[in-house]
Amino acid sequence: MNIALIKTPAEEAFGISLPHRRMEEWRWTDLRARIDRPYPAHQNTVVAKIDVDRLIASSPFAKIKTHRIVFVNGSWDQAHSNFTGLTFEMGVPTSSAIDDPLIHLNGAIEPAGLTLRFESNMDVLVEIMHITTKGAARSMALRNCIEVADGASATIIETYLGEGDYVLSSVMEFEIGLGARLDRVKVEHESASATHLSHVVTSLAKDAKLNEFTLTSGGALNRQNGTYTFVGENADAKIAGAYLLNNKQHADTRLVVDHAVPHCTSRETFKCVMDDHARGIFQGKVIVRKHAQKTDGKQSSHALLLSEFAEFDAKPELEIYADDVVCGHGATAGDINLDHLFYLRSRGIPEAEAKSLLIAAFVGEAFDNVVHDGLRDALVNYAANWLQVRKNV
Amino acid sequence: MLEIQNLHVKLEDEPREILKGLSLTVKPGEVHAIMGPNGSGKSTLSYVLSGRAGYEVTDGSVSFKGENLLEMDPNMRAAKGVFLAFQYPIEIPGVATMQFLKVALNAQRKARGEKELSIPDFMRFVKERAAKLNISQEMLKRPVNVGFSGGEKKRAEILQMAVLEPSLCILDETDSGLDIDALKVVADGVNALRSPDRAMIVITHYQRLLDYIVPDFVHVLSAGKIVKSGGKELAHELEANGYAEFVEKVA
Repeated sequence: MNIALIKTPAEEAFGISLPHRRMEEWRWTDLRARIDRPYPAHQNTVVAKIDVDRLIASSPFAKIKTHRIVFVNGSWDQAHSNFTGLTFEMGVPTSSAIDDPLIHLNGAIEPAGLTLRFESNMDVLVEIMHITTKGAARSMALRNCIEVADGASATIIETYLGEGDYVLSSVMEFEIGLGARLDRVKVEHESASATHLSHVVTSLAKDAKLNEFTLTSGGALNRQNGTYTFVGENADAKIAGAYLLNNKQHADTRLVVDHAVPHCTSRETFKCVMDDHARGIFQGKVIVRKHAQKTDGKQSSHALLLSEFAEFDAKPELEIYADDVVCGHGATAGDINLDHLFYLRSRGIPEAEAKSLLIAAFVGEAFDNVVHDGLRDALVNYAANWLQVRKNV
Repeated sequence: MLEIQNLHVKLEDEPREILKGLSLTVKPGEVHAIMGPNGSGKSTLSYVLSGRAGYEVTDGSVSFKGENLLEMDPNMRAAKGVFLAFQYPIEIPGVATMQFLKVALNAQRKARGEKELSIPDFMRFVKERAAKLNISQEMLKRPVNVGFSGGEKKRAEILQMAVLEPSLCILDETDSGLDIDALKVVADGVNALRSPDRAMIVITHYQRLLDYIVPDFVHVLSAGKIVKSGGKELAHELEANGYAEFVEKVA
C-alpha cells in the first residue's frame, strides 16, 4: 500500500503531499507524521502593534542599526519596516526549477516576498524579518530573491521570531554575481511550538564569495535545506551553522553543495549543541561534477551532547566524478571533555561556569564565519544567554 | 599549611592501591621535592591534592590551612590557594588564554569574597608577569595551550601560577620535555614566586630541575609511600645511585 495515497488532514489543507520517513532524505524528519493537524494558510490574524514591537525587540540584533524589511504573519508590514535608500520590488519572484518538497509546500501556501538587487557595494546591513504573532494554528510563507550584481557586495540578515503554534515556510534565492560577495546571517528563533521549514537556493558566479552562518535555536521542528551551486570558476563558499537546542527540539539541516565547475572551494562547518531530549541532524552532500577539477570541498559537523537523552545524526555524502580534487568530511558527537573541565576547575572556575565556557568555545568556531563584528558579538551574547538559562548544569 | 596523614588512594575502577600510607607536612615558605621512579604514585598525589575525579581515598586525611581538603571541589581548592602545574597541560580550543586567566582569577576572587579586577588593571597585571616569562601578547590571544610548544606550555603554566598567586604550588614534572634554556626560564619564574607565605611541592623524576629550584627537603616516593626524606643533598645521591635501592626495599 502506498501510504502517500491517503492524505493526512494537513496534506488536505495544504493541497500537496508532505515528505515522509520512507524518503531517504527525510528519514529522520517525517513531516507527514509530525505535522499532525491542518495549518490553514491566509488566516486573518488580529495584530496588536505592541506584540510586533515586543517580538522585534527580542531579536538578537535589536540594538544593531539595520535596514529592516518586516513581514508580519506572512504579509509585508510597511509601518515596521525601515528601508530608506533601499529599492526593492514587492511581489513573489519567479520560482526556481528545483524539485523539492519544501519549495512545493512554499508555493502551495502562496508566499509573500520581494526581489532585492544590490547593484554596488552596499555598506549597510539589510535585515529581512519575519514575525509571527499569537493566533490560531496556521501556515505562512515567504519567498525572497536577492541578487548581488557583478562586483557588488551585500550583507543580508534573516531573523525569524514568533509566538504561538504555526508553520512557517521560507524560500530564499540568492544569486551572487561575478566577483560579488554575499555575507548571509540567519537566526531561527521561532516560537517554542513552531515548525520552521526553509530552503535556500544559492548560485555563485565566477570569483564570487559567500560567507554564511545560520543559528538554529527556536521552534519545535526545524528542517532547513540548502542548495549551493557553483556556476563560475574560482568561487568560494563558506557555510557555517550552529544549533543551540533543548527540550524536545528537533533540527535537521540538509545541504547540497554542487561543484559544477572547476577551481571552486567550499567549507561547511556545523557545531551543534543538544541538551535535554533535543535531536540534531546534519546531512551534507557534496557533488563534484566530471569537469570540476581542482575542487576543494570540506565538510565538518560536530555535536556536543549535554544530556544522555540528546541525539545527533550525521550523514555526509560525497559524490565525486572528477579525479583531481581534494574533498573530505568529518563528523563527531560527544559530551563535554572531562580533562578540559578539570583543567578549568583546577584554576578556580566553578563547574557550571567552566561548562558554559567550554560550550561557548565549541560553538564559537561556527560563529567565526560571521564577518561583521557587531553581528558576531550579538550572536555570542545570544549563546551566552542561552547558556545562562540552561537548567541542567 | 598542608598536612597529609597516612594517605591511601586507589583508582575508582581498579582495586590496586597507588598511594599506600603517604604522610607529608609542608609549612609556609618551604619547598619540598618529591622524587621517585615511574609508577611510584607521584602524579596520583598531585591529582588527589587538586581534586581530579577517578581516584578514591580509602584511608588517611589531608588538611590544608586547617580544613579538610578532600571534601572540597577542585575549584574551591584553587580558590583556597592550591595550584597544580600540569605535567601535560591541557589544550582548550576556542578559549583565549587572556580570557581564561581573567575568568579564573575573577572566579577565585569572587569565591574569596574579593572584588573583581577592572579590565585595565587586569591587563597590566598579566602583561607584567607574561613579559618576565617571555610570553608574547600574541600568545595570550591564542587559545589556551593550543599550538604551544612543550616549552611554551610549561611557561604558560607558570604564568597562570604567577597570576593566580596560590599559596601551595604543586609542580608535576615541570621539567619534562624542556631543554636547558626553557628550564632556566621556567625555574626563574618559579623562584620569583618563592615567598615566606608560599609553599611548593616539586615533583620530578630527575635531579636536574633541583639545581635550579633548590628545595629545602627532598623525599623519595616509592610504591606509594615516602621511603626516605632528607635535605637537598639527597637529590644528588639519587642522581648518582638511581632508585634501585628504594625499589628493592619495598619489593
